[in-house]
Amino acid sequence: MQFLAYILRQTGKNLRQTWGTQVMTLLTVTLSVLLFAFFFLIYTNMLRASARLGDDVRLIVYLDQEVAEQMRPGLEKKIRDFGPVEKIVFVSRTEAFARLSAQLGKEKDVLNDLGPDFLPPSIEVYPLKTLNDLTKISQFSDFLLTLPHAAKVQSGSDWLRRFGYFTNLLRAVVLLSGGLLIISMTFIVSYTLRLTVLSRQGELEILRLLGATSAYIRLPLLLEGMLQGFLGSSLGLAALYFLYQYIASRFSGPGFLKLFDFAFFPPELTASILLAGIVLCTVGSLFSIRRFIRI
Amino acid sequence: MPRDASTDKPLVELVNVTKIYPPDVVAVEDVSLRIYKGEILFLTGMSGAGKTTLIKLICCLETPTRGLIEVAGRDLSRISSAGIQRMRQKIGVAYQDFRLLDKQTVLQNIAMAMEVTYTSTKVIRARVDELLALLNLSDKRDKLAGELSRGEQQRVALARAAANGPSLLLADEPTGNLDPTATELVINLFRHLNEKNGSTIVVATHDPSIYADTEHRVMALNKGQLSAHPNRSPRQIELFEA
Repeated sequence: MQFLAYILRQTGKNLRQTWGTQVMTLLTVTLSVLLFAFFFLIYTNMLRASARLGDDVRLIVYLDQEVAEQMRPGLEKKIRDFGPVEKIVFVSRTEAFARLSAQLGKEKDVLNDLGPDFLPPSIEVYPLKTLNDLTKISQFSDFLLTLPHAAKVQSGSDWLRRFGYFTNLLRAVVLLSGGLLIISMTFIVSYTLRLTVLSRQGELEILRLLGATSAYIRLPLLLEGMLQGFLGSSLGLAALYFLYQYIASRFSGPGFLKLFDFAFFPPELTASILLAGIVLCTVGSLFSIRRFIRI
Repeated sequence: MPRDASTDKPLVELVNVTKIYPPDVVAVEDVSLRIYKGEILFLTGMSGAGKTTLIKLICCLETPTRGLIEVAGRDLSRISSAGIQRMRQKIGVAYQDFRLLDKQTVLQNIAMAMEVTYTSTKVIRARVDELLALLNLSDKRDKLAGELSRGEQQRVALARAAANGPSLLLADEPTGNLDPTATELVINLFRHLNEKNGSTIVVATHDPSIYADTEHRVMALNKGQLSAHPNRSPRQIELFEA
């Protein structure tokens, strides 16, 4: 108990002695965590959105002429033989026109002078959710193009591909900011601790002469690093949460956030980031302790 | 009271100890010495005679070039660094240059010695007050060490050395900056520690006034070599030869 009281007292003393540097370190740790967590949050949401978009894949085969009723089972079999399909819908020119008219609602008058002929008939292919790989979708799309009277296949794979590129780019940014986080946290905390050690050089020397043990001298410094990690990570995550809340409340209409169902980190991931921050700062303090304190 | 050297086991034993500082300064040469539990030993000699080196050798601040040093039966060359730290907690050392923290109060400076042994704050306070009263420094408790006179700093350094009631107290020139009244207080502190705690006390000094009338052992160091003090009493001769 006395040991713990001492460690806490000494840690408080260290923080007071170098408070200016401590505040700067805390800000750096906070900003590093905020930066990393910000990109990571976008990345995780993009991944979720990407998975959901993959689930909603629909391939539309536009035809240059209507498919006769008796041809349909044959075509359907051909498609099902190629890949796992949930359902196949044949859309005639008239059905397509009716759909468009319904979508236009009050504006459907614009179609008054047009007949259904300007819209192509089509086959809508809904693959099973297991078909979420871009290459497979692309192969499926190429196959559908070989069907009789197929003029064009719209699979959305181009869009999904571009989305994939963006997600990959974001992954690189996350990795970069993660690397930056590791470097800044370990080095800054290590540097701050070095200042603490230097400011207490005389005292540490006397403590050694009085028989202070390794734990007595090192633990408060280690705790200092842990505290920096805990406070910095907590503040960084709290700042991100408020930023998220602000954006969510300002843009809570039918828009980007709604489209992607933007969500904050689940509690386990939040705890993991917090823990990683503490570990990194502790490692930073360990560097300094091992390097500058000889007992 | 002086102990009977013939029956006691030595607390400190030096066997043919030599310390040479680079390049070839011989500080202590072939010194053999036994210091017994509960004994008060005066080490005398001129400046540069090797007294401080001998003190540093005993408290592991220096390692001997040759020879063996044992404290409480343990060979110092074989003790781990953690073991040395534990041993230092039981040895009080009052350094010639005091080694106080000028920007800390007298209380904080003395308390440090007890904090490293995780003594409770309440006990520390009581002990510091007791020691300051013994050394007539009670009114200086909350003063910064750097604001004290040399004589006061010297007494604070002694109080810190005595704080844990050490089994061995090494005092290097403990009265160098003190007037006769303060010297008397220091001698009383040594006596108090020796009689109440059974502490073994080694005093390195060139001040004859503190050992002139003593019945304790007095040894002289001259150019690193140890001998019995030339003006020793019959009792001192007896102790030296033992």
